[in-house]
Parts: sequence; structure tokens; C-alpha cells
Amino acid sequence: MALMSDHVSKKFDAELEGLRSRVMQMGGLVETQINHAIEAFLHGDTDGFDQVIADDEQVNFLEVSIDDDCTHIIARRQPTAGDLRMVMAVIKIVTDLERIGDEAAKIARMGNQVYQRDNLLVPRLHEMRAMGDVAVRMLRDVLDAFVRLDPVAAARIVREDETVDDNFRGYLRLLITYMMEDPRTISTALDIVFVSKALERIGDHVKNIAENVIYIVKGKDVRHIGLDQLEREALSENN
Amino acid sequence: MNLWMSLALRLSLGAVPCLVVAAFFGAVAGLALATLLLLLAVISHWRMLNQLRKWLQSPTTETIPDAAGALGQVFADLYRAQRDQERSRARLAASLERFREAAGALPDGVVMLDPENRIDWFNPAAQGQFGLDPERDSGTLVTNLLRQPDFTAYIQQGDFSEPLLMRGAAADSRVFSIVVIPFAVSNRLLLSRDVSQIERVETMRRDFVANVSHELRTPLTVIMGFLEHLVDDPAMEQQTRMHFLKLLHDQAQRMNRLVDDLLTLSKLENRQQPMHEEIVDIPSLLSILVADGKSLSAGKHAFKVDFAAGNLLGSASELRSAFGNLVSNAVRYTPDGGTISLRWIVEAGVPVFSVADNGLGIAPEHLPRLTERFYRVDKGRSAQTGGTGLGLAIVKHALLNHQARLEIDSTLGAGSTFKAIFPSTRMVAVEPTTTVSALVKT
Repeated sequence: MALMSDHVSKKFDAELEGLRSRVMQMGGLVETQINHAIEAFLHGDTDGFDQVIADDEQVNFLEVSIDDDCTHIIARRQPTAGDLRMVMAVIKIVTDLERIGDEAAKIARMGNQVYQRDNLLVPRLHEMRAMGDVAVRMLRDVLDAFVRLDPVAAARIVREDETVDDNFRGYLRLLITYMMEDPRTISTALDIVFVSKALERIGDHVKNIAENVIYIVKGKDVRHIGLDQLEREALSENN
Repeated sequence: MNLWMSLALRLSLGAVPCLVVAAFFGAVAGLALATLLLLLAVISHWRMLNQLRKWLQSPTTETIPDAAGALGQVFADLYRAQRDQERSRARLAASLERFREAAGALPDGVVMLDPENRIDWFNPAAQGQFGLDPERDSGTLVTNLLRQPDFTAYIQQGDFSEPLLMRGAAADSRVFSIVVIPFAVSNRLLLSRDVSQIERVETMRRDFVANVSHELRTPLTVIMGFLEHLVDDPAMEQQTRMHFLKLLHDQAQRMNRLVDDLLTLSKLENRQQPMHEEIVDIPSLLSILVADGKSLSAGKHAFKVDFAAGNLLGSASELRSAFGNLVSNAVRYTPDGGTISLRWIVEAGVPVFSVADNGLGIAPEHLPRLTERFYRVDKGRSAQTGGTGLGLAIVKHALLNHQARLEIDSTLGAGSTFKAIFPSTRMVAVEPTTTVSALVKT
């Protein structure tokens, strides 16, 4: 692959490879965080919530230290072309990953609040499980696309974000009917609205990461250009 | 043949015509012929050497040049060497292919890692378990694709004496047991096994033990409390004392019921001998059940009995405990003044025992889990009605032993119908003379 070409300095290759694996390490941590947050929310597991909130600190630490690595690489190696795009994209990707971690922590805090009330008046939680499953799968796919530098998979993920947005609107309508039927459900339903909003935001961050993957491989900035053109860029042959 | 001998023979073969020519036409003509023959020999050898050089660029057994003379011998030797090599290479390729096929057919995931933990090769099971891509993923760091922090820590710390239990990344919450085996200096073999089923059984077992302890502890706490009270206060009024003793008795009975149910359940599950089968007189069983139900209900419910089917082949004691549980459930979960109807009829050609009530009913989301041990629709209520939480589990197992199935039909607020549907082969036509004494004993 052109992007993994040998540099004169072997050490530079090792640094870039190390950067990628640290991003993956952070990605893995964030993946676990969301998985735990959703599981804990569905089962009312308060220890799980605490764990998710505690993990957030490690995610923050990784963000800062990966950013630092990027600055060092730019200063010392003055990367060009594909390498420069990789470093720039990593800076943006870790920001999105950190935000996803924040959303997971937010879900955990909401969960704590809901379960302290000790009574779930809104029973339709499996809708949320479906939304959570989609968010978790999208995050996993986008990290895989980053490892494999696969713009086609990245384009597919960008399109999938639309489904997440639709699901969120559908779930919101459902929760509104509950609130109208029985005002006692309002406070819990509102918390659940926030949780599903967090899941929807995770979808948006995943989309940003996917756009960055396309940028690394194709060298084209595909933000704000519409889905159809983005897909054309991702599938185009020229690198 | 000796090489020198062959050379001498050839030289003399060439020399004979030259000598003949020299004898007839003079020495000059003889020398000219000798020169010509030598030149021809040199050209032919040069051509063959050229062929050999060409052949050596891509040696195969099919294209080896054919020649006579000393080089012919060389070609023959090369041909043999080449043939042996091709054979052994084919054998090696076949055995490697067999090994890969065997590793591919393994139900467990196998991933080969190089010394830097890059993926070398993996089998289809690993591909399915971890979502790996055979086209793209060889040469990728394994920790970039299996990103679980537990796994990264496990592979980096380098102590693989204990397997790692790891959740899959997918939302289907599969659990894998991962073992890393070092091989060939510093390569590693990563084996993964899907242990979700074992984990689930383990969780159920843990839950069961926790539930049993909890169920036994509740009455025990009450008993201990009252006993302490009785010990501390010897001068208690006779009436209060009697009241306490009655409460103690109730709790002891509750514990006894629970232990009985546990024993019944364990007997139903771990049957060593085949079931003792006899012809069970259902009508008289029904009358016993109604009598039991009436005494439990203490006149608060109306009973209706309707039987139109014959007798049944099976175990009298198991059927009695299964049907008895259905009846006592109906009594417990039907408010005073309700009606409980027992029916033993033939429906669509098979015998069906059903207990219908017009009581509380069960919400549909509880129905699939109702036969789980200690599953409670309403945690507060069943304890006060005196259930053990094992009744329907007993019913399910007893019916399973009779190849029968339990169908539950319920509407919240309108009542429930529990149906035990038996296979038609167990039905025995009624013969008015048969009465089964076994029933009376149980």
C-alpha cells in the first residue's frame, strides 16, 4: 500500500505505526466504555456506571498524549503527503473519540439518575438497545476502516449515520406519546431522551471519523459535500 | 560407463574415417576432415550448453532438452534431480494444504502471529469470531483489530499460563476464552473458543444458588426472630406464645415445602432409571386434585370439573405433582369468588389437561420466562401467597418426562389457562373396570 511505503528513516515508520496503534488503543477503550454504558443502562448496574465514568479519565489522558505525539512528529519529521494527512487526521480523530467517551460517561450519569428513582415507568427500553447496538457497531466498523484504510467501508458508515438520526426521531416520538399519556413518566422519559440523544451524537462523531479516513486515503476533504459526492470520491480509483 | 573410456571410443570413432580419407587422398584431406568433424562437435556442444543455460532459467521436467553424448548424461541426471525435487515439493505443498485445511475446519478460532504480534494467518472460525478480513488483515497488528483493553493488556504482559475471558466487540455479547501458545522461537498461536453457552449456564447456576439461599433465609430469619423473642421472655402470655408458635410453624412449613419442591425438581431432572409407567386413572386423580384445591381455597372459589377423555399412561406421582401445582397456582392467583375450571378432554385428537381461572392474568412479557426457577411476576405477592417459585418448573419437567408440553394463554385482568398437551400415544381408552390403586397411595 502506497501509504505504508518505506521511509529512509525506519524510525519514522515505527513512529507512525506506533501512533496508529495508540489511536486504536484509545478506540478500544472507548468501544468498551460505550458497550459497558449501554449494558449497565439496560440492566440498572450502578457499579458499571461508575466504571464507565472512571474510564473517561484514561481516555482524556490518551487524547492529550496522542496529540502531543502528533505535534512531535510534525516538528521533527516535517511529514508530507500521505504521512501529513495521517497525522492531521489522527489529531481530529482523537478529538472525536474523546467526545464519544464523554457521551458514554453522560449515559452513565443519566443511568445513575434514572435508577436512583428506582422505578422505570417507561418500559420500552429495547428500542434503546437497538439504537445502542447500531452505535456500537458503527464505532467498531469505523475503527476497522481506519486500521485497514478502507474508504469504501468509511463511506458506508457515513450513510449509516442517517439511519441513526431517523431512529432517534422515531424514538423521540414514541417517548412523547408516553409523556402525554402519563405525566408521571416525564422525568424518566426526559432522561432517556438525553441518553438516546447521546447515542445519536456518537453516530455523528463516528461519521466525522469516517470522513477523516476517506481524507487520509483519497486526499480529498469530504466534509459538507453531500452523501452522493462523498461516495463518488470514496469509490474513485485515483489515489 | 567410464567417462574416459567413452571419450576414447568417440575419438577413435572420429579418427577412423579421417585415417581412411588420409590413406586414399593424402594427409591434407585427412586433416581437413578431422578439423571439420572437430568443428561440428564444438558447434553441437555449444548449442547444447546454450539450451542448458536457457532451461536452467525455469527448470521443469517437461522442457528438459534431449541430447546424446556426455551432456546427454548431464541432462539425464538433471532430469532425475528435478523430478525428485518436484515430487517432494508437491508432497510438502499437499501436507501444508492438509494442515491448513485441518486448522480451517477447527471450530475454535486460530490466529498465527509473528514476533511483533502482526497477523500471519487465521482460520475461518477466527474470521467469524473477530470480524477479520482475509484480504486485508494479514500483516496488521492484532491489537489494532482486537481492541479490547483486556486483550491488549493480556498480550503485552506476556504471561499466558491462564486463559483470558473476553467479551466480543459485537453487541451480541459473546464471550471468548483466549489462549496464546508460543511456537517456533518467538511466533505465537492465538486460540479462541466461544464460551458464551458455558458462561450462560454458569450464570444460571449462580443465580439458582443465590435464589435458593435467599428463599430459605427469609423464613429462617422470621423463625430466628421469634425464637429469640421466646427465649428472652419466658414469662410470655400463653396466648401470645401460641400465636408465635403458630407463626413459627407456618414458616417451618414454608421451608419444608421449598425443600420438598427442590427435591422433586432434582428427582425429575436427574432420573437414573426409566420412568415407572402405569395406567393412571385420571378421573379419580381429578377428584383428589379438586379436593386438595378446595381445602387450599377454603371455600373462597368455585370449582368446575369437566372430563371426557380416558386414562393416561405415565407416572402417577409426577402427574399428580404437575397437575396439583397448576391447580394450587390457580387458587393462589385468583381473587376470592373466582371460578376455577379443570378440564380433561380430547382436543384435536390429543388428550389435554387444562386449568382455567378468571383471576389476575399474566402480562405477555412474563410468559416466556414463567417456567424458570424462582421467576416471579410480582416479587411481593407470591411470598405472601405461600408459593415456592418452583411450581411451574416442576410442571415443565414432569410434562417433559411425559413428552407433553405446557401452553399458557393469558390476558391481564381476565384470567389464565394452563394447558398440558399430551401425545396421543399416551392415551388409554377408559375401561370401566380399571381402577388404579397406586393413586390412593400417593
